[in-house]
Amino acid sequence: MKRTLTVCPYCGTGCMFYLVSQGGRLVGVEPSSTHPVSRGALCVKGWNAYAFVHHPDRLTTPLIRDHGEFRPATWDEAIATVATALKSVQERHGADSLMFASSAKATNEENYLLMKLARGVFGTNNIDHCARLCHSSTVTGLTEAFGSGAMTNSIACLDDSDLIFVIGSNTTEQHPLIGSRIMNAVRGGARLIVADNRRIRLSRHADLHLRHNNGSDVPLLNAMMQVIIAEGRADRAFMESRTENYPALAATVAQWPPERAAAVTGLTPEEIVAAARLFAGARAAMLVYSMGITQHSHGVDNVRSCANLALLTGNVGRPGAGVNPLRGQNNVQGGCDMGALPEFYSGYQQAADPLVREKFARGWGVSSLPATPGLPLTRAMNAATEGRIKGMFIMGENPLLSDPDQAHALRALESLELLVVQDIFLTETARLAHLVLPAACFAEKEGTFTNTERRVQRVRKAVDPPGEARPDWQILCDLARSAGYKEISYAAPHEIMAEIAALTPLYGGISYDRLEPHGLQWPCTTSDDPGTPILHREHFTRGRGRFIPVEYRPSAELPDEEYPFVLTTGRSYFHWHTGSMTRRTHLLDREERSPFVELNPHDAARMGVREREMTQVTSRRGSILLAARVSDIVPPGVLFIPFHFVEGAANALTNNVLDPESSIPEFKVCAVSIRRVP
Amino acid sequence: MISSPSPLSPPLYLPVTCEIISVTDLTPHEKLFRLKRSDGRPLGHLPGQFVQLSLLGWGEAPISVASSPTRGELFDLGVRRAGSLTTALHLLESGDTVGIRGPFGRPFDLSFLAGQELLLISGGCGLAPLRSLIQYCQDRPERFGTITILYGAKSPDRLLFKDELSSWEASQRFACGVTVDSSSDTGCYDGTVGLVTSLIPPLTLDTGRTVAVIVGPPVMYRAVIAALKQKGVPAERIIVSLERQMQCGVGKCGHCSIEHLTCCQDGPVFLLSEIEQLRGAL
Amino acid sequence: MKQLSTHQLITLFASLEGGWDVRLPVRLPDGTRAMGKLSDAPPALLGGPLPSKPTAAFFPQEEQVFMASEGEIRPSPTPERPLLVAGFTARDLECLRFIDRFFATAPRDDLYFRCRETALVAAVTGWCGPAGSFMKMAQGGCDLELVRDQDEWLLLSYTEKGMSVTRGVPHRHDEGRLERLRQLSTTATGADELLLRSAAALLRDDLIPDSFWREIGDRCILCTGCNLVCPTCSCFGIRDWRSAAQTQRSRIWDSCQLEGFMREAGGHNPLGSEALRSRRRIHHKLAADLLRWGEISCFLCGRCDAACPTGIGIVSVMKEMVSRYGKTTTYMTQEGVSTVDRSSRIR
Repeated sequence: MKRTLTVCPYCGTGCMFYLVSQGGRLVGVEPSSTHPVSRGALCVKGWNAYAFVHHPDRLTTPLIRDHGEFRPATWDEAIATVATALKSVQERHGADSLMFASSAKATNEENYLLMKLARGVFGTNNIDHCARLCHSSTVTGLTEAFGSGAMTNSIACLDDSDLIFVIGSNTTEQHPLIGSRIMNAVRGGARLIVADNRRIRLSRHADLHLRHNNGSDVPLLNAMMQVIIAEGRADRAFMESRTENYPALAATVAQWPPERAAAVTGLTPEEIVAAARLFAGARAAMLVYSMGITQHSHGVDNVRSCANLALLTGNVGRPGAGVNPLRGQNNVQGGCDMGALPEFYSGYQQAADPLVREKFARGWGVSSLPATPGLPLTRAMNAATEGRIKGMFIMGENPLLSDPDQAHALRALESLELLVVQDIFLTETARLAHLVLPAACFAEKEGTFTNTERRVQRVRKAVDPPGEARPDWQILCDLARSAGYKEISYAAPHEIMAEIAALTPLYGGISYDRLEPHGLQWPCTTSDDPGTPILHREHFTRGRGRFIPVEYRPSAELPDEEYPFVLTTGRSYFHWHTGSMTRRTHLLDREERSPFVELNPHDAARMGVREREMTQVTSRRGSILLAARVSDIVPPGVLFIPFHFVEGAANALTNNVLDPESSIPEFKVCAVSIRRVP
Repeated sequence: MISSPSPLSPPLYLPVTCEIISVTDLTPHEKLFRLKRSDGRPLGHLPGQFVQLSLLGWGEAPISVASSPTRGELFDLGVRRAGSLTTALHLLESGDTVGIRGPFGRPFDLSFLAGQELLLISGGCGLAPLRSLIQYCQDRPERFGTITILYGAKSPDRLLFKDELSSWEASQRFACGVTVDSSSDTGCYDGTVGLVTSLIPPLTLDTGRTVAVIVGPPVMYRAVIAALKQKGVPAERIIVSLERQMQCGVGKCGHCSIEHLTCCQDGPVFLLSEIEQLRGAL
Repeated sequence: MKQLSTHQLITLFASLEGGWDVRLPVRLPDGTRAMGKLSDAPPALLGGPLPSKPTAAFFPQEEQVFMASEGEIRPSPTPERPLLVAGFTARDLECLRFIDRFFATAPRDDLYFRCRETALVAAVTGWCGPAGSFMKMAQGGCDLELVRDQDEWLLLSYTEKGMSVTRGVPHRHDEGRLERLRQLSTTATGADELLLRSAAALLRDDLIPDSFWREIGDRCILCTGCNLVCPTCSCFGIRDWRSAAQTQRSRIWDSCQLEGFMREAGGHNPLGSEALRSRRRIHHKLAADLLRWGEISCFLCGRCDAACPTGIGIVSVMKEMVSRYGKTTTYMTQEGVSTVDRSSRIR
């Protein structure tokens, strides 16, 4: 019986637990009693996080497509074939015809390596990962306003807050240990505003539940700010000493009295006024948001509005306050930190900056690094359908289920000359690949994940990978060598981290020995830096906090006669994203076995649909069959579908319209129709 | 407290292999599987008991035995296609093998039923477990008084055991009432339409000698019990067989508990008076 | 009675590893305590109850039932060495006694007894609790009891097994010392036991309205931790994993707090609401098990309260029940005696 301290592979909360193993097999999970986030508890996914690891479906050998069928191959053959094929695309179509998709599930070290492979070996900035689909709006919006695109405060700050404003986050389901901390804060006397038109569990504990229309966050927040300014509740001292561009904000929000916002949001003016007073009246107000804010064609504007509200009330840079985007994946924060983004090297160092490129070229021992701007993942999929991207290397992502407009994603992947997928299961995307490389999962390798509060934590190996599967970092090193970059050689991931620290000021003080037992929060720039639980304390990363006024832009596709319902998509508590792990976990699968659509009882009665009956939901892009779940969680006129299920894929319906700045798709709003299937 | 195992007790969770002798379509959703233990031994069950049907790769599901022990070493399981295991089972054919554990559970109390007038009420799939008792009554006619069978299904094509229903209707032993909730889907049905409860009020019952047995879908119990009580049948003379999602069959897994009782060990057959007051029983 | 220093005791455990699979409280790298092997982590006998349930040694989170290939079913093999499990508190032993009886009752659960049958169970009691507090002595219910007193461990064997492992340790006679500890143990009882009985009586008398369970349900995030750390929780599910060559059947801890726990294939669910499931968690321990087994199956080990992210472990819930629905109820808390008059609370 062995216990290995590691980080949960599911959400960005970053709970640590012990994997219990016996005879080389995982047999259970025990929470860490002392970890600052998990504190002896876990959510249902954490308690079951061991359970998919030895599933018989795990990939155990490289696969090469031969006459349409996969055949097992040796690593030598597979690596050589992948390297040659990537080189061939690069030579024939140019480096920028390649796209590298990194993974928010993989470690920091692996994200860094894939970034290095894309830029240093294959000479392209076309590197991105699924942060594009979740918090790219945050990275863009908060970097502009504060200078840093991450959660400003720590999870523990929830204990110090006297008002928590949750907007667009189903926290108890998607970040359960943060959601429960919010519930505890409320029992301890904190006030709670929930803005979400679904009746989520947190709303049962809220002082105020605002069920505003999907996509109307900007009018709601602008009107709250209008009330705060008009009633003299703004934090003048903070604004004067710490911020800039206030007059522009004041001018914009002045156009949004509550009565005007009420018409757009579907709320009453009184609700908006009450929310404004509650928020501005708090000693320390903590704003918590997630994908309900970011996944819109105006996602960056939503983020800016959140930042504006916090700046206006002086709620940045102190305990119990802040703008707190909850990052979705276990290591989506780290994926961004490591520069698995087209515009940044690790630590948000600009790829457009020649000095940055020069520094990395020297550090990596390469003659030059590419200057051409890279493509975000979503735009790369568009480029693939147009023939501009010819080869794609995907590590640990499943875009066929997770990208918007599934038919479009399928067209993009099918039009590639070369698709290489490195994963732990033969996912829907991997089935389309020319080559599949079997990877080790979180329990089978060493590395680090960075959680939503910027805490860099150690991931440890508990058991061996199945068959010939190997850790991503080893595969990437072999691939780099095979592609001609002979200098790459690491004995273990801690050596990769040493390189990251040397080239990345944000992680400059991070080393494995310093991460015992529960990690460090970046920025951590020197070897004696204790880390930074709260950002922007003395001054903002960019100097002053900048107000960026935003105008309301409606969602791209609104209901009409033909498609009269608003569809909003998301996750269920029991499943993770495309389900490759959770649908192979007995208990989680038992809880949610098949796709469903939430439908308000009034709509259900009108459409003649009863609980559990089969329905067909159709958008301009596709149509799926799934069971009705009649529930007042959703308001009339709104449908909710989780995107985990291939057999009723929500993303067959969603709209591939992108935010012009962050390139995030509008997962949260599109127009659909629903009918009962006899 | 830690008693030593009896050398005779077989391993609790290891299924024994059974061969499928035949598969019959009962309805578009239900099939009847006739099985035989591969070791040739009889199942050793009594009417009302169930087995844990084991399909390697799919787990186990509790299935009532649909045939009487008086019919020899073969036994029948009527299975509706509902979940993944039963869907996989429906793909099997004669000659294939499955695993069985059991029989488990408290059977119908045949000595209590002896000499009584029986009113056997079932709905939908509930006729399968009741068929075990009906066959037993057929084979031991001397032990029981008059037997009335009431059966309701959703629609004519969902009626189970149609041929046997006809033969029971024709037999002197039984009085039969069959009804369907609605007959709109098929044209050739000329029987009664209505809920099974509608068959109860017209009956003439000797409430002092009648024992009612109810097996059906969860929604049926309350209505049927109310109709029986209306007729003066007391809870001590009403027997119900309850369906739960048993996973072990031996009182350990917890999935079928009804307050302090377990459906798999204390049931599935209960006197109504034993469970009427327990929350979540009906 | 025999006595050893901590060092001598650990040496004794180490010397037993040839014949036993020895597990005892250890301190893991981040300070979390667990039941582990001496070779994995330093011993941590002090600190009171372990956060995970000690009964997991016999009923683990996941356990293979059998492996089947080519028509042959092979049950899980019996382990080579018997288990020696130290770290049970007196309350944990009550839990063990309960769950032993549960699995022993016919039909006997041979899977549970695969490791339990031959195991040696050792209690750790005395001055070894959290922050140096006193842990009630077990005085039986185990093979061996290790009682800490004045930096020493008194070894008390209650069975042949217990004696066999302490045979080499010299005997010392100090009845007075033992008597003092026994005395302390009798006065140390009853911290929350009156609360337990009051709460059980409220359930028996059906005085808890459904609205209370809805409230508790609202606060539950369905983590299942309460069930998974409970030493008397015994619910499990069956999972088959089939590969080309073989099928592995396992049993895995399950939780009555999950919607799918009793949901039937046809959709009917006898535990079909959050309120019913919250009620079941408490009612089962305090009322149903009392009826079936003659005793309440919560022994106040405190694990579910520690593992619950939202503060609705059984002790918290019992306190709310009693303070809101008890008529005039006196119950003891760790802080002392408190009296709650229901009529003085306006709701």
